[in-house]
Amino acid sequence: MLPLSIKDDEYKPAKFNLFVKISGWFRSILADKTSRNLFFFLCLNLSFAFVELLFGIWSNSLGLISDSFHMFFDCTALLAGLAASVISRWRSNDSFSYGYVRAEVLAGFVNGLFLIFTAFFIFSEGVERALEPPDVHHERLLPVSIAGLLVNLVGIFVFQHGGHGHSHGDEGHGHSHSLFNGSVGHGHSHGGHGHSHESKHGHDHGHSHGGHGHAHGGHGHSHDDPHCHDDHLHTPGKGSSKQILQGVFLHIVADTLGSVGVIISAILMQKYDLMIADPICSMLISILIGVSVVPLLRESIGILMQRTPPPLDHTLPECYQRVQQLKGVYNLQEPHFWTLCTDVYIGTLKLLVAPDADSRWILSQTHNIFTQVGVRQLYVQIEVAAM
Amino acid sequence: MGLGQNRLRLVCMLSLTLAFFFVEVVVSRITASLAMLSDSFHMLSDVIALIVALIAVSFAETARASSKNTYGWIRAEVMGALVNAVFLTALCFTIVLEAVERYTLPHEIENPRVVIWVGVAGLLVNVLGLFLFHGHAGFGGHGHSHGGHSHLHKTNRREYEKPETREEEYNFMIKSNSSPGDQTSDLKSDSLNLRITAKGSLEDLDHSSESASQMNMRGVFLHVLGDALGSVIVVVNALIFTFVWTPCHSDTVCFNPCRSSHLTEHQHVNTTVLSISKTPDRMPRTVSVAGPCWVLYLDPTLCLIMVCILLYTTFPLLKESALILLQTVPKQIDMHKLNGKLRSLDGVKAVHDLHIWQLAGSRIIATAHIKCTDPASYMDIAKRIKDIFHDEGIHATTVQPEFSPISEGSGDSQCELSCRSQCKPKLCCNLTKRAKPESELTKRKEESCRHTVGWADRKEVEDTVHTEMESTV
Repeated sequence: MLPLSIKDDEYKPAKFNLFVKISGWFRSILADKTSRNLFFFLCLNLSFAFVELLFGIWSNSLGLISDSFHMFFDCTALLAGLAASVISRWRSNDSFSYGYVRAEVLAGFVNGLFLIFTAFFIFSEGVERALEPPDVHHERLLPVSIAGLLVNLVGIFVFQHGGHGHSHGDEGHGHSHSLFNGSVGHGHSHGGHGHSHESKHGHDHGHSHGGHGHAHGGHGHSHDDPHCHDDHLHTPGKGSSKQILQGVFLHIVADTLGSVGVIISAILMQKYDLMIADPICSMLISILIGVSVVPLLRESIGILMQRTPPPLDHTLPECYQRVQQLKGVYNLQEPHFWTLCTDVYIGTLKLLVAPDADSRWILSQTHNIFTQVGVRQLYVQIEVAAM
Repeated sequence: MGLGQNRLRLVCMLSLTLAFFFVEVVVSRITASLAMLSDSFHMLSDVIALIVALIAVSFAETARASSKNTYGWIRAEVMGALVNAVFLTALCFTIVLEAVERYTLPHEIENPRVVIWVGVAGLLVNVLGLFLFHGHAGFGGHGHSHGGHSHLHKTNRREYEKPETREEEYNFMIKSNSSPGDQTSDLKSDSLNLRITAKGSLEDLDHSSESASQMNMRGVFLHVLGDALGSVIVVVNALIFTFVWTPCHSDTVCFNPCRSSHLTEHQHVNTTVLSISKTPDRMPRTVSVAGPCWVLYLDPTLCLIMVCILLYTTFPLLKESALILLQTVPKQIDMHKLNGKLRSLDGVKAVHDLHIWQLAGSRIIATAHIKCTDPASYMDIAKRIKDIFHDEGIHATTVQPEFSPISEGSGDSQCELSCRSQCKPKLCCNLTKRAKPESELTKRKEESCRHTVGWADRKEVEDTVHTEMESTV
C-alpha cells in the first residue's frame, strides 16, 4: 500500500493552528450562556481596571494605580472561572477518562483560596493602617467608589436575570449552598480606597485597602454545570445552575453592601474626620469575605476529597438494604460513592452472591435501585461465593 | 514511622516560625517600623502554610474510612499540597504588586541595622527549615524533580521501563541488586516482587501515604524556600543600604533626587523644599544629596527575581496536585495498552467505561465494565482481569460484568462504538445491549457525541431499564 502523501498536518504553520485554537475558544465561550456572561463581565472589569490605571497615571495618584492592579488580580480569578467553564466542556481523552468536568470544582476551590488570601491580606493591611493611620485623599475616593458600585449593580442585574428559574425536577438534591458561587460577584467597589501613600513614613503598602469593598465572596465561577447535565434534553435552567446563579447573586449583593460600606466610611471621613473608619471598614469587609467563602470551600473540599455526596447521605443506607434484600445477594461490600461534579455521582460496590443466583437480574435491579437516587454511573462487581 | 517524623518536623518548624513571628511583631512596635510589621505578616502566612500541611498530615494519618469518607482521608495531603501551592502563587502576585509600587515610589529603609539583625535571624530560621524539609521531602532527596510519578515500588518490571522512576527505585530498593533494564534478571526481580507484594496491604498504605506526603512536604519546602529567599533579599538590601546609601539627615539642608515631588507629599521632601524656599537669599553652602538612587530600586528588582524563581519551582507542584484532583489517568499507565490487554483475554467481548484514576500517591483505582458471554466463565475471567490490573500497579479495582447472549453480534459493536468514540455516553452500554432498532442506537450515539458528559433524561433511563427488566424477567 503506497502512501498517498506524507502527513501534511505536521507541516502546518504554527500560527495558523493558534488562530484556529483561539477562535475555537471564543466560539465555545460564546456558545454557553453562563460563560458568555462571565466573559462580558470579565471584559467590563478589565476595562474598568484599565480606565483606573490610565486615570491614575494621568493624575499621578499612586492609590489609583495600585487599585487598578488589584482589579487585575481579581480579573485573574474571573479568568480562572471562565477558563474552567470552557475547559470542562472539552471531550474526554486517554489521559482524562472522565473528561475535564472536574475543572469547575477545582477552579471553585482555587478561587475560594484566593479569596481567603485576599481577605487575609486586606485584614492585615487594615490592622496596619489602624496602628498608623495615614492621610486619606477624600476627593478621589467618592467618584471611584460610586463607579465601583455601579459596576456591582450591573453584575446584579446580569446575574439575576441570568439565573434561569426552572427547577430541575430531580429528586431533591437539596443544594442548600451552591458550589460555584459567583466569581463575578466582586464587582469592584475598589473605589474608596483611600490611598494614602502620601504620608507613609516608609511604609511600603501603597494600597490601603481601607474599605476595599471587594467582598469577592465566593469567587468561584458562576457557571453552572451544563456538562454534567444533558443540555439537549433539558430546558436550560437546571436546578443546580439556578442554585449557582443564586449564589452569584447573593455574592454580588454582599459586594454591593461592601461598596456601600466604603461610601459610608468615605462620607464619615469627610464629614467627621473619623480616620479610624477606614481600617475598621476594611477589617469588617475582610471578615465578611472570609465568612462567605466558607460554604464554597467546604463543598468543593468535600467533592475533591471523594466524599460521599451529601444529598445521598440519607438515601444510600436504604439502597444498600434494598440491594441486600434481592434474591441471591449475600452481602454488599466496599461501597464507594463520590461526586464527579455537581449532580454527577459515581459509585462502585461489590456484591457477594450465591452461585445459583441470576447475575444479570441482580445487576439490572441494582442499577435500577441506584439510578432512582441519582447515581448514574455505577460499577457493580459480582463475586460468586464458593459453595 | 515516616509519617510521625513528618509531623514532628512540621510541629518543630511551626513553633519556631510562630515564635519568630511574635518577635518580629514586638520589634516592629518598638522601632515603629512598618516594614517589619509587614514582614511579620509574611511570617504569619508561613505559619498558616505549615498549619495547613500539618492538618493534611494529621488527617491522612487517620486514614480510617468512614461512611462519609469511604476512601479515607488520604487525599488530604494532595489537597494540602495544592493549597500551599496556590497560597504561594497568590503571595507571589502580591509581592509583584508591591514591587511595582516600590518602583513608582521608592523609599528608604528606616532602621537598617535592626532590619539586618532581624533579617539574619529570620534567615537562620528558614535555613533550618530548609534542612528539615529537604532531607525528608525527597525520600532521600530525590523527590522534587520527579513530578511525582507515583512511585511504583510494587512491580520491578514496569519500573525498569521507566527511566525517571529509576532513581526512586534506587533509593527505595536498597536490597535489590538487580541492575535496571536488565531483563534477564527478571526471575530475581520476580521473587523480589513477590516478597514485596506479599507484605500486604499495610505496606501498600504506607507507600501510598508516604508518596502522597511527599507532595505535601514539597509544598511546605517551597514555602520555606520562598521565605528564605525573602530573608536573603531583606538582609542583602539592608546591608547595601547601610554601606552605600548616604541618607538625608533632617537637620542639614539636603536634597533627595530620588523622589519625584509631585507623587508624594512626604514630610521629608516637604521640609527640605520648604527650607530651601524659605531662605531664598541665603545660598546654601553645603547641599548634601541623598545617596545613589539605584539602591532604592534594588529591593523591588530582587523581589521580582525571587518571584520568578518561586513561580518556576511552584508550578510543577501545582500542576501535579491539580492533575490528581482532576481524576487524570496516572502518567505511567497507558490506557490503550491496558484496554488492548483486557480485550485480548478470551471470553471478554468488550470493555467499556474504563476509568483509572489516582486517589493519592500510589493508590490507583480502576473501574470498568466488561462484557462477557456468560456468567459461568465470568469468575475465571475476573481473576485474570484482576491480574492484569495488578501488573500495572492498580490494586483497587471494581469490574462489572455484563452478559450478552452470543447472538447479539451487532449489539456489541454498536455499544462499543458509542463508548469508544470518547464521548461520554449517557448510559453505560449495559442498558443498550438489548436489541434495538438500528436507528435508535445511532441516534443515541449522535446525541452522546454532542456533549462530553451527557446524562440521559431520567425518564429515558427508567424506560430502558424497564424494557430490560421485562426482557430478563
